Parts: sequence; C-alpha cells; structure tokens
Amino acid sequence: MEATDRNNREGLKAWLNPSRYGAERISYWLQRLTGVGLLGYFIGHVYETSSLTQGPDAWAAMLELTQTPMGHMILLLVIGMSTFHSANGIRLIFTEGGKGLGKPGRPDYPYDAVSLNYRQKSGIWIALILAAAAMLFGASVLFGGE
Amino acid sequence: MRESQIMKIHYVTGIAALIVVAVHIMMRLIMPYNMSLEYENVVANYHNVPYVLLLESILILIAIHGFNGLRVILLEMRQGRNWEGSITVLTIAAMIAIIGYGTRTILVANGLEMGQ
Repeated sequence: MEATDRNNREGLKAWLNPSRYGAERISYWLQRLTGVGLLGYFIGHVYETSSLTQGPDAWAAMLELTQTPMGHMILLLVIGMSTFHSANGIRLIFTEGGKGLGKPGRPDYPYDAVSLNYRQKSGIWIALILAAAAMLFGASVLFGGE
Repeated sequence: MRESQIMKIHYVTGIAALIVVAVHIMMRLIMPYNMSLEYENVVANYHNVPYVLLLESILILIAIHGFNGLRVILLEMRQGRNWEGSITVLTIAAMIAIIGYGTRTILVANGLEMGQ
C-alpha cells in the first residue's frame, strides 16, 4: 500500500480541526504555535544581535528597526508566548510524570476521561493568566517612557 | 537515542532555559530599558565573563529545546523512515548552525573595544 493512502495521516488538517477542541486541545495547539513563534523570534534575535559586531552604526540602524511601536508590540507578543509556553510546559512535565491525572476509574457514561480533570484545566488557565500578567508588565516597561 | 531520553533532554533544557532567560531579562531591567540597549552598555555585557557564559548557555539550551520541539511537531504531522531521518538531520544541522553563528557573535563582541 502507498504510504500516502494511510487514513491515519490527517497532518495539518487534524492539527487545526476546531471541531475537536476542548481546553486541552487548545492548550496543545497553543503550546506548538507559541513554540514555533518563539523559535522564529530566537533565530531573529540571534541575527539582530549579530549587528553589534559591525560597529555602533550597524547597531543603531538595527535598533531603529526594532525599537519602534511595532517592534515593541512584537516583543509583547513574545513575552506572552514565552510565559504561556513555560507555564504550560511545566504543567505538561508534571502530567507526563503522572501528576494531576487522577486515578483510573470504571468507564461509566458519559465516559469523561479522568485525566482531563479540573487540575489540568486550572493549569491551562493559570498559564493564560500568567501570560496576560507578563504582557501587562512588559507593556509598562516598553511603553512606560523610561 | 530513544525518544524517551530525547524528551527528558527536552524537558531539562526547557527548565534550564527558563532560569537563564529570566536572568538575561533581568539584566535588561537593572537600568532603564532604553539605556540597557546603548552600544557601550551592550558591549560591556559581552566583556563580563559570567554573563558571556550565561549567553552561551541560553544559545545552546534554546537551540536544543527549540529545534527538538520543531522536530517533534514535524514528526507528529507525518511519519516515515525517510521523513523522520531527513527531519532529524535538518534540525540537528540548523541547531549547529545557529549555535555557531551566535557563538561567533559572542566571541567577536567580546573582543570589541568599549568605546568603538
């Protein structure tokens, strides 16, 4: 059989299918989106910083490009993404270690998974709240006029 | 290397990166943000050996964590011997390239004159 005929390969469509969303699916999706976004920022930041080696003029030109309201908005987004990715990542480390998953029980109707419990949902909400708080603090520093 | 071992490395680099990046951000806040970005202040950072070691560790930890994360995402989307092999090689190559490029910046900036 051709590898492309396998019906378990939905690829990106499965990843983005909103009909399967619960809090855990949104967190799964956000963890990956923020991860890819942060990797992009990291590569850009390493490149941006390398202008330092070309002297003060090149550094000033790079700052003119990045230290703008739009540059600060992108930085705010990066602050939010990194805070969410970190906090949710810590939740996932605990989850993979079996913490906060609850005890296995008899599968009774309506067959809610014990693992998708309030502890997991609280962790996701805490990650989102921390991201919002970090963005507010970042905004006060970046747009605070210092 | 087994995938379970790779995931342990992924988690350890993630936690370690969180700590060193927090220190890196705090270094931007010990003086007014705009002043911390002035050329002389940034070059002075690169003459501070503990801070240089911190920057190098950030570079290595985030490169490993980030490109392994990208590898995991790409392997979740599609599987196959060729695909998995190609993605692994490409992500390792990208990881080495970014670490090399960042290390070059650190070394050159470390040799810059403060008043240049």
